[in-house]
Amino acid sequence: MAAINMNKEQLQQMIQGDKPVLVDFWAPWCGYCRRIAPAYEKIAEEYGDRLVVAKVNIDEEAQLAEAEGVEVIPTLILYKNGAAADFVVNPGSKAAMDQFIQEALEK
Amino acid sequence: MGELHVYDMIVVGGGPGGYTAALYAARAGLRTLVLEKLSAGGQMALTERIDNYPGFEDGIDGFTLAERMQQQAERFGAGSVLAQVERMDLTTEPKVLETSEGTFYAKTVVLATGATPRELGLSNESALTGRGVAYCAACDGMRYKGKTVVVVGGGNSAAADAMLLSRIAKKVILVHRRDTLRATKVYHGPLMQAENVEFRWNSVVTELLQEDKLTGVKLKDVHTGGETVLPCDGVFISIGRKPATELAQDQLKLDHNGYIMADETTKTNLPGVYAVGDVRTKPLRQVVTAVSDGATAVHMAEEYLAGGI
Repeated sequence: MAAINMNKEQLQQMIQGDKPVLVDFWAPWCGYCRRIAPAYEKIAEEYGDRLVVAKVNIDEEAQLAEAEGVEVIPTLILYKNGAAADFVVNPGSKAAMDQFIQEALEK
Repeated sequence: MGELHVYDMIVVGGGPGGYTAALYAARAGLRTLVLEKLSAGGQMALTERIDNYPGFEDGIDGFTLAERMQQQAERFGAGSVLAQVERMDLTTEPKVLETSEGTFYAKTVVLATGATPRELGLSNESALTGRGVAYCAACDGMRYKGKTVVVVGGGNSAAADAMLLSRIAKKVILVHRRDTLRATKVYHGPLMQAENVEFRWNSVVTELLQEDKLTGVKLKDVHTGGETVLPCDGVFISIGRKPATELAQDQLKLDHNGYIMADETTKTNLPGVYAVGDVRTKPLRQVVTAVSDGATAVHMAEEYLAGGI
């Protein structure tokens, strides 16, 4: 399943659900964001049964990005039980994303 | 368990050199796999526009060019796996690559792992990356339109970065630890004449000053030891590149900068192992020289697989 684009209302609703939510805060002009996109889509495929894998375009959702304290992109945040469990900035490999997810899920 | 699946060629790194090797190998009928840790392109993927790769008269962005190289290699049967290589044994037959996605085996290995920008090594450097600290003027320069930026370094890439930034930023201050540029002469005149470029010779950056983001740098004069604070909005670090050769260092001959020793044949000191692109010792590191290496490596690998040398 592909990563789902979300706005503020959708995200706030989704993080109250049973499944943890992984969000990639990105923007179309951000080269580093583009570079992690193919690996992030792979993450969406592989973790689809355990996680909601989402994307937030910070140009369209500036208020949400600010509220979540996202200053640098790409930033991945994993939400559990309605709150952010952990975040990672500009992961350098798919393996680094896997590790981040596994550690954040265990927290 | 059945027999091991052994590829004819595994390419480590999906930049232009790697995917060109994959293209040539696949077209030569070799069972070929590319192991890439993040996405196609390597350093090239962060280049907003490439104007010196022939055939794209209006330029092309590096990410798109990389994706197209990947698709071209895959069209002829090359495979790709998003995997981080954790350990290699290049002396056995077949050669063994342990990765985050399992273990792979191959008769030949092409190392196309590239290079990354060298860091200053200051404590808050990585935390400030993207918040005032940058390594690629072509990638991040536009964010400093009308602002004051510092460029650290004195080689060709520092000079080129300073030139590029002088057309975007309000003021560019080049900080270099010597009293003259190491860059080739073609850069000297234009830089000296640029009205908004200043020089701080014999100086090194000892501290990155920050509040929420970068606010300036602390400089130390290498002769007097005197320290000054230089307020700025951004600092571009252009002090060279670091080849990604940590995994190969026990098995392959490297030069004193860490690049894999290989000549124009791309052959390394180990039979069936080739080094292509930025990771190889070479005079010019460009997309065109990387792709050229990729083709050569496959030619050499075919000879090796046929029982030659």
